[in-house]
Amino acid sequence: MPPDPRALPLADWAEARLRDLAALLPSPALAALDGDRLLGMRARFNGFLVPGRVSAGGGCRLHRTRDGWIALNLARADDLSLLPALTGMDGLDRAEPERLTAAFAALSSDDLLAQGRLLGLAIAGLDEQPASPAVVETVPGLARPGRPDRAPLVVDLTALWAGPLAARLLGLGGARVIKVDSANRPDPLRHGDPALHDWLDRGKEHLALDLRRPADRDRLIALIRGANVVIEAARPRALHQLGIDAEALVREVPGLAWITITGHGTSGAAADWVGFGDDAAVAGGLSAALREATGKIGFVGDAVADPLSGLVAAGEAASRLVDGTGGRVIVAMSGVVAAALADRRRSDPAGLNASLRRWAQAVGTPLAAA
Amino acid sequence: MKPGMKLKSQVCNTEVMVIRCGTGQVECGGVPMAEDKPAAPGVPAEGKAAGTLMGKRYVDATGSFELLCVKPGEGSLSVDGVILTIKDAKPLPASD
Repeated sequence: MPPDPRALPLADWAEARLRDLAALLPSPALAALDGDRLLGMRARFNGFLVPGRVSAGGGCRLHRTRDGWIALNLARADDLSLLPALTGMDGLDRAEPERLTAAFAALSSDDLLAQGRLLGLAIAGLDEQPASPAVVETVPGLARPGRPDRAPLVVDLTALWAGPLAARLLGLGGARVIKVDSANRPDPLRHGDPALHDWLDRGKEHLALDLRRPADRDRLIALIRGANVVIEAARPRALHQLGIDAEALVREVPGLAWITITGHGTSGAAADWVGFGDDAAVAGGLSAALREATGKIGFVGDAVADPLSGLVAAGEAASRLVDGTGGRVIVAMSGVVAAALADRRRSDPAGLNASLRRWAQAVGTPLAAA
Repeated sequence: MKPGMKLKSQVCNTEVMVIRCGTGQVECGGVPMAEDKPAAPGVPAEGKAAGTLMGKRYVDATGSFELLCVKPGEGSLSVDGVILTIKDAKPLPASD
């Protein structure tokens, strides 16, 4: 039997965020979306099943360590070459799952997390606390004089799921969205997941730039100076290396809201940690909540930190658009998941636990009804 | 030397993690790197002081060595005297 559509844990929280967004940016298109469809969108497009210890998309796995569990996302082909350095075992490869399992079982979660994060792997501990809160404003912005006489302009510098979703939601709310395509790092979702890409990309204008070229970098900065919102998801180091100073722009451009989506925030060592949707959900405590409610070890949702963070980012941008005061806002994907969980634990702990129990019973069945 | 090991420069603050290694001597600033910091740091050799960048991966021409810079410094990385080059940025996953 397919799971009840309401079996998607945290869909009710997403639904409430969608209603908040639609209240800020009234539009029939936003009102027509619902939380369950949004969180299950990629699974519906791809026919994914409710996952156990291997994520719905297949890239992330939960592994037992000497003293707990870690989630390791090997989404990028190059990640496999880092496994010997992660474990200290020469010649290790995912093609030999028994050796990999044995290697992880001999190491502590903390050592694997520290080494994996130094290596730039997307890794998370089942029992860790998120490094950053869901949302932090790092630089207060300036107030925009008066109301804009045109649709707000959103510059989308992101790729994959969370960032493009935030920009798409703002587009559904009436904004003009220009997606900047990086000439040397194109959005891999275009070919990797065309159905999801097409939905996220609908209604966006495109501008192709090579940000390693000073002339293109200047064009981007000019575009941003005329914008109301920037959605961006580069690591701080990458932005600096390109010569783009987000904080200076926020201090100079009245009303500019610069929303940065990160895996784990921008403060301290966590600023350099990589995070994708499934591992960030584990870092936010969702798999720990599943274990607590059911005794089972597994993933919850399909890369659920991505759509949840896209929603939160859109909400932060929308409230600043309406208010007219900009700012630099850091959204941390693991923090968003933790905040959603904490909210549900406060408002409806029984409902949260019931949704996690239904989820555990639905493992192996279609994740989203077509 | 084996993957996962950290090596420290004897002439600057550079630290690297070994991703892949073959046969040869890894140097920073022209001086062999070691597992421990020196009591008194030396100076980078001439032509070996272009610096290292945090988070960048350095490779040799044959692909047998790959080092990840986990702390930057003033020395240049080399293997048996031949300067290593920066590997291109990691492509994003096809989906996550």
